[in-house]
Amino acid sequence: MSQFVDRLLFFKKYVDRFPHGFGVVTNESRAWEDSYRQRWQHDKIVRSTHGTNCTGSCSWKIYVKNGLVTWETQQTDYPRTRPDMPNHEPRGCSRGASYSWYIYSGNRLKYPLIRARLLRLWRAERAAKDPVAAWTAIVEDPEKSRHYKSIRGMGGFVRATWDEATEMIAAANVYTVKKYGPDRVVGFSPIPAMSMVSYAAGTRYLSLIGGTCMSFYDWYCDLPPSSPQTWGEQTDVPESADWYNAGFLILWGSNVPQTRTPDAHFYAEVRYKGAKSVVICPDYSEAAKFADLWLSPQAGTDAAVAMAMGHVILKEFHAERTVPYFEDYCRRYTDLPLLVRLEKRGKGYVPGRFLRASDFADGLGQANNPEWKTVAWDEASGEVVVPLGSIGFRWGESGKWNIEPREGGSGAETRLRLSAIGRSDAVAAVQFPYFGGHAREYFKSTDHAPVLTRNVPVSHIETAEGTVAVATVYDLLLAHYGIDRGLGGEAAKSYDDDLPYTPAWQERITGVKREHVIRTARAFASNAERTNGRSMVILGAGLNHWYHMDMNYRGIINMLMLCGCIGQSGGGWAHYVGQEKLRPQTGWLPLAFALDWNRPPRQMNSTSYFYAHTSQWKYETLGVHEILSPLADPAAWTGSIIDCNVRAERMGWLPSSPQLETNPLDVCKAAAAAGKEPAAYAVEALQTGTLRMSCEDPDNPKNFPRNLFIWRSNLLGASGKGHEYFLKHLLGAKNGVLGQDLGARGLPKPEEVAWRDIPPDGKLDLMVTIDFRMNTSGLFSDIVLPTATWYEKNDLNTTDMHPFIHPLTAAVDPVWESRSDWAIFRGIAEAFSKAAVGHLGVEKDLVLTPLLHDMPGEIAQPFGVRDWKKGECEPVPGKTMPTMTVVERDYPNTYRKFTALGPLLAKLGNGGKGISWKTEEEVEFLRHLNRPVEEEGVSKGMPRIHSDVHAIETVLTLAPETNGHVAVKAWQALGRNTGREHAHLALHREDEKIRFRDLVAQPRKIISSPTWSGIESEQVSYNAGWTNVHELIPWRTLTGRQQFYLDHPWMVAFGESFTLYKPPIDTKTIDGIMEEKDNGNPQVVLNFITPHQKWGIHSTYTDNLLMLTLSRGGPIIWISEVDAGKAGIEDNDWIEAYNRNGAFVARAVVSQRIQPGTTFMYHAQEKMTNVPGSEITRERGGIHNSATRATLKPTHMIGGYAQFSYGFNYYGTVGSNRDEFVIMRKMKEVDWLDRPLEEKRQYMEKAE
Amino acid sequence: MLTFKVLAALLHYPDEETVDSLDEMKAALAAERLLPARERRAVEAFMDTLRGQDVMDAQAAYVALFDQSRGLSLHLFEHIHGESRDRGQAMVNLIEHYRAAGLEVSANELPDYLPLFLEFLSLQPLPEARRLLSEPIEVIALLRARLEKRDAPYAALLRAIEALAERRADEAAIRETVAKERRDDTPEALDASWEDAPVTFTGAADPSGCDAAASMVARFAPPKGGGE
Repeated sequence: MSQFVDRLLFFKKYVDRFPHGFGVVTNESRAWEDSYRQRWQHDKIVRSTHGTNCTGSCSWKIYVKNGLVTWETQQTDYPRTRPDMPNHEPRGCSRGASYSWYIYSGNRLKYPLIRARLLRLWRAERAAKDPVAAWTAIVEDPEKSRHYKSIRGMGGFVRATWDEATEMIAAANVYTVKKYGPDRVVGFSPIPAMSMVSYAAGTRYLSLIGGTCMSFYDWYCDLPPSSPQTWGEQTDVPESADWYNAGFLILWGSNVPQTRTPDAHFYAEVRYKGAKSVVICPDYSEAAKFADLWLSPQAGTDAAVAMAMGHVILKEFHAERTVPYFEDYCRRYTDLPLLVRLEKRGKGYVPGRFLRASDFADGLGQANNPEWKTVAWDEASGEVVVPLGSIGFRWGESGKWNIEPREGGSGAETRLRLSAIGRSDAVAAVQFPYFGGHAREYFKSTDHAPVLTRNVPVSHIETAEGTVAVATVYDLLLAHYGIDRGLGGEAAKSYDDDLPYTPAWQERITGVKREHVIRTARAFASNAERTNGRSMVILGAGLNHWYHMDMNYRGIINMLMLCGCIGQSGGGWAHYVGQEKLRPQTGWLPLAFALDWNRPPRQMNSTSYFYAHTSQWKYETLGVHEILSPLADPAAWTGSIIDCNVRAERMGWLPSSPQLETNPLDVCKAAAAAGKEPAAYAVEALQTGTLRMSCEDPDNPKNFPRNLFIWRSNLLGASGKGHEYFLKHLLGAKNGVLGQDLGARGLPKPEEVAWRDIPPDGKLDLMVTIDFRMNTSGLFSDIVLPTATWYEKNDLNTTDMHPFIHPLTAAVDPVWESRSDWAIFRGIAEAFSKAAVGHLGVEKDLVLTPLLHDMPGEIAQPFGVRDWKKGECEPVPGKTMPTMTVVERDYPNTYRKFTALGPLLAKLGNGGKGISWKTEEEVEFLRHLNRPVEEEGVSKGMPRIHSDVHAIETVLTLAPETNGHVAVKAWQALGRNTGREHAHLALHREDEKIRFRDLVAQPRKIISSPTWSGIESEQVSYNAGWTNVHELIPWRTLTGRQQFYLDHPWMVAFGESFTLYKPPIDTKTIDGIMEEKDNGNPQVVLNFITPHQKWGIHSTYTDNLLMLTLSRGGPIIWISEVDAGKAGIEDNDWIEAYNRNGAFVARAVVSQRIQPGTTFMYHAQEKMTNVPGSEITRERGGIHNSATRATLKPTHMIGGYAQFSYGFNYYGTVGSNRDEFVIMRKMKEVDWLDRPLEEKRQYMEKAE
Repeated sequence: MLTFKVLAALLHYPDEETVDSLDEMKAALAAERLLPARERRAVEAFMDTLRGQDVMDAQAAYVALFDQSRGLSLHLFEHIHGESRDRGQAMVNLIEHYRAAGLEVSANELPDYLPLFLEFLSLQPLPEARRLLSEPIEVIALLRARLEKRDAPYAALLRAIEALAERRADEAAIRETVAKERRDDTPEALDASWEDAPVTFTGAADPSGCDAAASMVARFAPPKGGGE
């Protein structure tokens, strides 16, 4: 309504003037101001956050007006830091600030959707049959099942009611459990920390019915295996505030201002405090402009830079002079003083395994686990001693698992000797593998021999099996790095020597000037010397997504350990990739995996799983011999990479899914019929061959995954390496795989795995995606369920970037038909319980579990590698093969169990990471807080977990991080292991109990707990390894110390016992395809790099017009001016990139930022957003993962060996993808495929 | 006015109940005679098509049209405000408007959902309904034109709605917009619409100095050679 007529055009009214005429009081109408007032008025502000993909964990204010979300702004009420530090707030970025758009967006999923072809079949069958019979009639009819599977990805959805959708899902689950086994029902959801109750909803359901929960951290390749290898720790890092305590910061392959936006201010601020910073990355990234010095090694060669820096540090700060702080640190906290056996090889030796107490006739007085106790020399006496802290002290005895400088038997103080120089009886030639000589197109190699011989001081020791040669890790390490110690032989006299691993040597490979490497290493170490370890490296995906990521990381970790930086405030390694620090972890685990009802859950490493079930292994061209050490015996390594994985599964190293070819419910029935225990029955049957493990025949329909749930994730559109293989083999949909499999190419096939030429009909019977927007995964699903957005549900959120726990809160109710994840899975559990009646009752299920880290099984296999299937040892569950446990499942009571806290917590207690405590009090407390279940049945009287808030309170009450009383119990439990008092770390907060409403009021700092290696305190910022260094708690490794040396036979075989430089692998995906697909335009071959982006968090926000407007409105790929010139590509041209894995299209961004020879494509740009068709595949676009395929690394399969033991998201194969190359050229024809659905579908049917 | 209600029901997701009520709806349209004969015949033809179709096929077509395409969203503000923050406030204002008329939204829907808005109009006096309907008439006309472009039978409903409004959209402008969209179909035009203007820096193209600034000045300068 206009106020025009009220407004005066020619007059000005006034009533009075202020003194001195400075102001005027008028009487004009001010009603126009109301529209501004109303614009920013709101009914309430609700605290929430952005809860799956982004790991920033920023608290936001959500403004609600008339029941609608109107906008959001950053919260600014985080608890303050110390007086000398900047505060955390404000946290947030442009992506988070545009989230409210999703709620009412045209892209929002509003109703449960089912593909019409499937629904029609269902309704026809369901009219006369019960749900399970109806589902059976559809999937067991090949015509019918092909009818609905073949149009996956082609639209045709109709709305369904929740009842109908959940009934169909329940029927499919019951059918699958009954027919094939519960482990054929699987679920994938990532990063629980960001919305832990939503994650737990699905995994609780799956764990109750015996389904498989899939890992994500390793599959995303965000897990750095170097961390468990070195520390026995999945990942633990400093909070971002600790950057401010550093004196020297290296940013290495991490683009903090772009991908850690809310934390970047600490990096900016510490530079004002005087910290120096070096940025190492191939491209001129946003972080590079913060640098005092920017180094640009060729992408993929970072390990060479790190080795050369380690060389400088060892030479100047260890060999040439003694830095007391460094020397003391290495002696007490690392494996450098420990003794390694040398094995005779030709004229010299090769390093073997650690010498153990059991090698001595008397076990050096150690009766308990002597084979798991490493040894060293006492400096004063020169005697061999067993220092405390090795893993042998962790199990079977108590009070001695600590790293006090004491001897394990007498408890006498000991100071371990680092070097044998001055006591050794010989100097001998020791051989080390060298991989830098591998000639590899597009990378530079050197001409050094594949075996390097270095002189090492060697001593001979009497053992039970006679005299053995030994050396300390310290002496071996210096020799390996080529440090000259006056022992003769080949060693670098100067940095300019062209000898591995000098600065001059790395210059040949990486292109980085030697003086820059020397200067950086010197500054890094000298800062650490002056500050007792305040040098820090922030490292990220740029390093960790390579096949040989361990080499990149361990090279850097070695620098940090040599300078005493780990566990020191302002120092250490800071790996912020897919971080998932679920702070109240031990409170959450029982909820998430239904440990309150049955144990163990079924958990699977996704990389091996998808490698097998999307048939990527059938295209594997990387031979094991290509990556084997030149010192290993090639005859012992026959077969291919999947063979290694199968052996690992058999030996109990890696988990399996499915586990057994026969339904495990039937195995138990058959055992009962035979009058045997199921485990004993299964072992016998496996041995005779009447029972087989599924991994040996993944293409057998009995071993197919059958039902897949995807929630909180865009598996197909974002993380699915080998996208086109997913479409082809798992889903049976149209796809763009361009290469042929090994069978068709006549290449050697695997040994352990049955080869079947099966048509790609789609292994999955049912794929269900639960999301709030229609993404690529949803497009290919059979059922799509609409979930609540992050402003429509209650949940919890934590990160490792800051120490606070804070909530997601329902600002408004879920709109349209959407429901929270908790409500969705609760509904499915209810439908399942109903559908199960008459098909499934109380059943016995045989569950296979690998030898787990932090459990006694981690010391199952001390020496050598033995495969029972080859008769090398007896099959003994839990020792030489997976553990076998019978779990009773009461299927019709699944819903009752889902919604109540079961009896096992009070009975068995709670715990994690190798310790446990009683928790009856907390269960009792929850009974009062959540109220007991009143309905008759199995759950009567138990604490209710009906609503999401009940679930939240359960987590908060059970966890030490949010319940001070539990924290004290947990520290006391650890104290019984270590023999030391740790409870002081939590006693001052014992009475604190953080509840959901407290978090809604303000983010809360968590309470220190032994689950984590840092502490929450008013004196220091959170820093990983702090309690190891300051509380003398051992690292959870073989030696109890940080390990430079890894002695498992497979680590030795692949030449990685010490870290070194390995060039990227040859994926061979561009071979022989370039000519075939030529479109006449010039082509370039580029290394394909897929970093995190600026305008989205994975695929989220990439369909947001605000973010699209800030970038270029569609898929883009970055190339250098040089390569663009070669290919005749101009900025913004449409290009196509392809290799044997598939093809995708994007617009070129031609930039000086990019290093020639590489191309950057920000990953997870969705294929439905402004993407035309590919010239090659004639399908829409493709995504970045159309050009990738996962390749497993055998060293990541090791198990049953201390820190090399399986843990969910802790260790296992990882989905690396940066070694990939693509062919790029300008497109000739841009076809938007913008034709009606019907035409396309007809085309499809013709193709069928 | 039941005509508005009938159009609301037809424009909503079709189900068995919709199909079963088609005769009732036809009767209501015939009794009220609000629609011009041509529009009414077209709506009746739409009803007959719906009746002759398998419900699930109709549903799949509906989902493909309206649930998975932003350009055909039946939420009016999607076309007016898009992702802008103004959308929240606009919806708040609309809810206020409904409340002032004594109505509370009971369905799980947003206030700017076109069928919901039509139902609201059906409860208003006819002149008021016609006036209110003419407010978003450009959006309705645009939707109609886009549906016509796709040969979707739903265009008939939108034409009928337009006929009820007090005011018609400027057909020429709508046609121009849609014509532009039609031209957008060609690869070249799509390409061009995403093209960024190249940024040049000092001296790169214009030796006289800063390009960007110069071109900005040039845009505001009076035409040269005029009669000053």
